[in-house]
This record gives sequence, structure tokens and C-alpha cells, in this order.
Amino acid sequence: MKKFTFTLTVILIFLFNQGFSQLATSAHDFTNGDAWNTNTSNKMCGVCHTPHNANTSVAEAPLWNHALSAVATYTLYGTGSATLDATINQPSSVSKLCLACHDGTVALDNGPLSNATMIGTVSASSNVGTDLSGDHPISFTYNDALATADGGLHPTTTTVSGMGGMINADMLFGAGNDQMECSSCHDVHNSANIAGLLLKTNTNSELCLTCHDK
Amino acid sequence: MKPNLLIIFFLLNFYISKSQSIINTVHNMSVSGFGDIKSSNESEICIFCHTTHQSDPKTPMWNRNTKGVSYILYNSSTLTATAGQPDGSSILCLSCHDGTIAPGNIKSRKSEIDFGMSKRSFKSSKSNLTTDLSDDHIISIMYNSSLAFSDGQIKEPSSLNSGVKLENEKIQCTSCHNPHKNTYEKFLVASTKYSELCLNCHNRNYWETSIHNTSQAKWNNKGTSPWKDSKYITVSENACENCHTAHNASSEEYLLLSKTEESNCFSCHNGNVDSKNIQQQINKPYSHNVYGYYLNHKPNENLPVTDKHVECQDCHNPHSSKTNKADAPYLNGANFGTTGIDINGNEVKTAVYEYEICFKCHADSPNKSNNNISRQIDQTNVRLEFNTSNPSYHPIASSGKNPTISGLIYPMNESSIIYCTSCHASNGENSPAGPHGSIYPNIMKYNYSTTDNTPESYNSYELCYKCHDRNTIIYGETNNFQKLVHKKHIVDLKTPCSVCHDPHGISYLQGNSTNNSGLINFDINVVSPSNGNLKYEKTGNYRGSCYLTCHGKTHNPKSYN
Repeated sequence: MKKFTFTLTVILIFLFNQGFSQLATSAHDFTNGDAWNTNTSNKMCGVCHTPHNANTSVAEAPLWNHALSAVATYTLYGTGSATLDATINQPSSVSKLCLACHDGTVALDNGPLSNATMIGTVSASSNVGTDLSGDHPISFTYNDALATADGGLHPTTTTVSGMGGMINADMLFGAGNDQMECSSCHDVHNSANIAGLLLKTNTNSELCLTCHDK
Repeated sequence: MKPNLLIIFFLLNFYISKSQSIINTVHNMSVSGFGDIKSSNESEICIFCHTTHQSDPKTPMWNRNTKGVSYILYNSSTLTATAGQPDGSSILCLSCHDGTIAPGNIKSRKSEIDFGMSKRSFKSSKSNLTTDLSDDHIISIMYNSSLAFSDGQIKEPSSLNSGVKLENEKIQCTSCHNPHKNTYEKFLVASTKYSELCLNCHNRNYWETSIHNTSQAKWNNKGTSPWKDSKYITVSENACENCHTAHNASSEEYLLLSKTEESNCFSCHNGNVDSKNIQQQINKPYSHNVYGYYLNHKPNENLPVTDKHVECQDCHNPHSSKTNKADAPYLNGANFGTTGIDINGNEVKTAVYEYEICFKCHADSPNKSNNNISRQIDQTNVRLEFNTSNPSYHPIASSGKNPTISGLIYPMNESSIIYCTSCHASNGENSPAGPHGSIYPNIMKYNYSTTDNTPESYNSYELCYKCHDRNTIIYGETNNFQKLVHKKHIVDLKTPCSVCHDPHGISYLQGNSTNNSGLINFDINVVSPSNGNLKYEKTGNYRGSCYLTCHGKTHNPKSYN
């Protein structure tokens, strides 16, 4: 037991140093007394995560706690574009977790274990809505083949992300490390401590130009 | 050694990739930017045009505010496409390049990005297209197979190579420009050398063999460079851009570099690129005065020409002109590719014979000048004067009617054919060919006196004597006729050739072979009737009688045998 406690402490300290230290005071820090956050025991993480009985309906969902959006059909990006080569699909994978709050259809406090009172929605500027046609496309396959076909994208397996590895390993999701999702640009835990919860700095548009060969 | 090479490779790779990136272009308007117009504090580059959320238009993630400006559109007499207000990505480009919206005015920032007062507008730069697009290459038009078919001078869109791209079948700014990559200058998608970019779409008839496509001529560094805004140094390299520009064209219609069409021509044809100085010829007192008209020639104008004008392009097609010399009546390469009117009055899309070009204006057109000389039979339609059914005519459209002309200078003979420009051309032995300008009236190549009582000399009738040997005509021993008629009248009585001869010809509709053979058609200011008669009657070869009064003498008749 002592050993377990020690290990847990080490893990917690590690996590705290690595990520959660930045979560505090970020936009995803829900401990600052928002009226909608009725979770009494775990205000910081409990809005999204639970250690038990997690929602497993979304692949790759990390111990998910929040109710998912019931919206099945979002308006997708790309209509009328003469330059889009990717096939944009309905939001899937981890992007569905983001949309659980950010499509504006589900109350922020609507977690299955949190005795939801159905109050609180994301602020207007953070509400992407169910019309995603004006937002950067997500849930599409971005691989070397797409980069070749498009001509304006870097190949994912040979281009460094600036975060230690290649684009595919550091920024893409799915079994093939080839799915562009919300988390390709955003780190919900604010590890990098950058406004807009970005994965990496966008000074000199570095984030955009990581993938876009412009 | 190996690691060093690797480092060099990576540095080189980095340099190459950066040099082709938007980062190193003037479209990087961030504080790290390279152009004159840049923000004083904004670090993001993409943000001036793109946002990842709440974009409008949604594709391509647009971040700029627009004003809904109504633009003045390009138009021309040869435009087959239907032009509308700019749309698609062109609207996006214009959100900076019409000069009406500050570059820092974007959607994703609550307040305008600061540019500092000196760096937020184009001023008078060529990049500022303004809201008047009438002087810019047309955009936002459907470019499809049916347009290619109806226009005839643009390529089938399916043949576009990887350079020029259409946007949903439309020509947009992005067809020629890639705002993200400045591989070629001005963000162009292909090289302008040899007008490679233009020729992606444009398919001018005969351009391939045109001298303006092939000439290696260079500017001789005298006067003003014809290519002052170009980095290319030969006619061939400049190609389309010898005369045209895609933006802020001085002429608006036809997108010409200079406002008047002749200025475009004279920038080279003034002796400084082409050694032949055409401008000097046009400046002579009698000329096809192209200065007198402004873009009056329309490439697709109805023929015959009804609105009197003359422009270089009436006789020359700069897209097809060549340098080859032809034999009469076939037109020279310099005139190749122009329209014409044939001897029967029918329009021809591509003239074959030189006179067909002249007939566009000097035949059936209204409001022609009166003849300088008042003749018994008056005719201002040159086409009718040279009709091959006429009793006599100078051999323009076919060999002449007279089988025995004495004194023709070799290689001329009775079956020869000549050009209009054999007589009507710039004077001066070394002058460039063609009727550009002359010191002699009617743009004569040599002096041709028509004033009565002119003392005979070689110079007085040099024009005629160039083909008709002076000695033979005046003193010829072949028959008495020459002495009796020519010497007596031309030398003794100082009568010009033109008093008896009408050099063009006498229409069969007005004259006949008895009275009007040998180009006889009297100048009625010199010759008057006698006993009501004013005529020449041919009675045989070099035989005839005159019924008239001339220089106070009455012929009633006077017979020459």
C-alpha cells in the first residue's frame, strides 16, 4: 500500500508538473466558482473525466464523464472550395468530446455523475455551433498521400512538428495517426500555456505552417 | 565529413523551403514581414487573411472584412465572355488590393491590427488595383469549352497545364497568382518569360510564327526603353508584354501598355529596337496618320470600314506579323493575319493579297475624300478602278489588258503584277516598305507631278519612270506614237502624265475599251470638250484619235497613227 501511495504520488506530481499546472487559471479551469459547476468533489477534472464508469462510446475517449452532443449531422467545411482535396467527415473521435461542450447544444454541467442541473453553456466566442463550415475542417484523413495530392500541405511522416516528433505522431489521431481533430491544434489541458489553448505557439503562424506548406 | 555534409544539406533544405514560403514574401504582413506594408506588432502571418473559426467566406477560412464595393468591369470589343462583379477568391484578394480596406481590418480581432501610419496602405503602388477594374485582366468569368469555342483565340480549358488553375470553372485572381508562393515574381504561377503564363490560356492565331514571338532584337539603349518595367531584354522574351499588361493598363480596353495603340508600336518601331524607323515615316507630311485616331480600329470591326480611321492594326496584325517577303499580289509577312475585302467586295477573314487590305477603306467605305484630280470619269472606289473586267487598269489584281507596253523596265513585263505599295509607299530609297508616310502627296514613293505646265524631267515623273523607261516613252523609235504623243505633250507642252492617264484604272461600269484603253481618262481641269466631244478613240495598236480642247488647241479629231 505504501508502495502504491508512493507511486501514485509520483504520478500525480509528474502529471501536475507536466500538464495540470497549466490547466489552472486557463479557460478550462472550472474551479473558479462558475455557478454551473455543481461538482463538489472534483471541480478541476470532473467536468470531463471520471475514474469510474466512464462513457466509452467514443473511441480514444479518456475516462470520459461529460454527456455527448446528440447532434449527428454537422454542417461540414468545404462547400464551394476549389482547393480542398481532403474528404471531410462528420466529427468523430476526440473531436466529439470537444463538441460535447463547444457545439453549444449540451449544458456544461451535463455530466452523468454530476447531477446535472442543465445550466451553463459555452460563451459565444467559444461556441462553434453545429455549422462547422466556417471552421477549420476536422475529422479527415491527413496523410502523405493527401499532402502529395494537395501540394500545399507538408507530408505527415517526414515533417517535424516542432514538438519532438513528426506531425503524424505529435498531432494526428486514430489508429493510423492520420486523423486531423480539434486536438491537432488545441491542447485542452493547456500544456504549452498559450492563449487559445494551442498545442504550440502560433507566433509567425508557426502552428498553421507546421502542416500548411505556404 | 559526413555530418558536415548532412548539416549543409539541412541548411540548404531549410533555405530552399523558406525561400519558397509565404514567410519571405510581401504577403507576410506580420511584424516579421518583408514588404513595405507590415504590422508594427502582430506576430501571426496567416491571420491577415485566414482564421480557423468563424470564417467568412467559409472557404478558404476567410478572416477579412469586405465592403461590398461595386467595381467598374473590364470590357472590350473582342470580349466574348460575360463579365460580372468579382466573386470567388477574387473578392478576397480585392479586400486588400482595391485599396479600400486597411490590411489590419480582420474579423478575428476586435480591433484593427496596428500597421503604423506609414505602412497601412498601397499609396500609388501597382498593387493597388482600385475599384476600377476596367484596366485589369478580366476575372470572375466562366472559362469553359463553349467560351473557348465561341472566342476561338483561347485554349480549351481542359488543356490547361499545372500552372494556371480555374476556380470552379472560373478565371479568378488565383488563376495567375498564388498568394502563398512567390516562385515567380508577383506571386505568378508561371514564368512571364516568352509569356509562358499568358499562353496557358491565350491561343492567338499564328502567334507561334510571329516575329513578335521569335525576334531576338534588343533595345539599342537610345531614347526610352520599351521594356522599362520588364526584366527581359528581347522582343521574344517580352512577348505579349511588349504591348500588353495585365494590370493598370494605360489603354483600359485591350490592356495596352501605352494609351494610344501607335505608342505601343513606336516604342520599338522607332529605330531603337527594330532598325526600321516607322515613326519617322508617319511623321512625314503625307501619311496614314495613325496619330489622328484613338483605338478606333476594332479587330472584329465590320468591313468595309465605315468609321473613317487608320491605326497600325488596320494593316498589321501584331499577333501574326512575320518578316517574309512575298511577290505581288501576295501580301508580305508584315501584313499577315489581317482582314480584307477581295476584288469582288467580299470580306475575307485573312487577307491573301495586299490590295485586299487597302480595299477595307479605299473601296466601298463611305465618306472617302474626293479625288485630287477631277476626271471625265470620276470614281473613288479603288476596288472598281482595279476590277479585272475594266478596259484598262494598273496590274494590281491581275496582269494588265495591254499586251504591248513599250518601255517597261526589266524585270517588268506585260504580265507583271504590282502592289498598291509599288507606287504608294514611304519615299526614300532606304525607307521601310509600305505606305506609312511620304513627302509626296498621296503617299507616293517618288515624285509624281500632276500640275499642268510642269517642265519635263526625270524627277517630275520619277514615279512613272521607275517602270516606264523615260527614253523609250518620249523618244522611242518603236513607233511614231511615242514621239507624236508623249514627247509632244509631256516635253514640248509640259503636260503631266496625269492629264491623259488615270493611273488606277477605269471601271467597266463607266468606261469602255474604245475610249478608255491605256488608262485614258482626262483631267477635266486641263482638257475640255470640243464641239461637245471629249474623248479618245482607239483605232488600233498605238493608233487613235482625240476629240477635245487642250492648252488652247482643238482636236476635232486629232489622229495619231
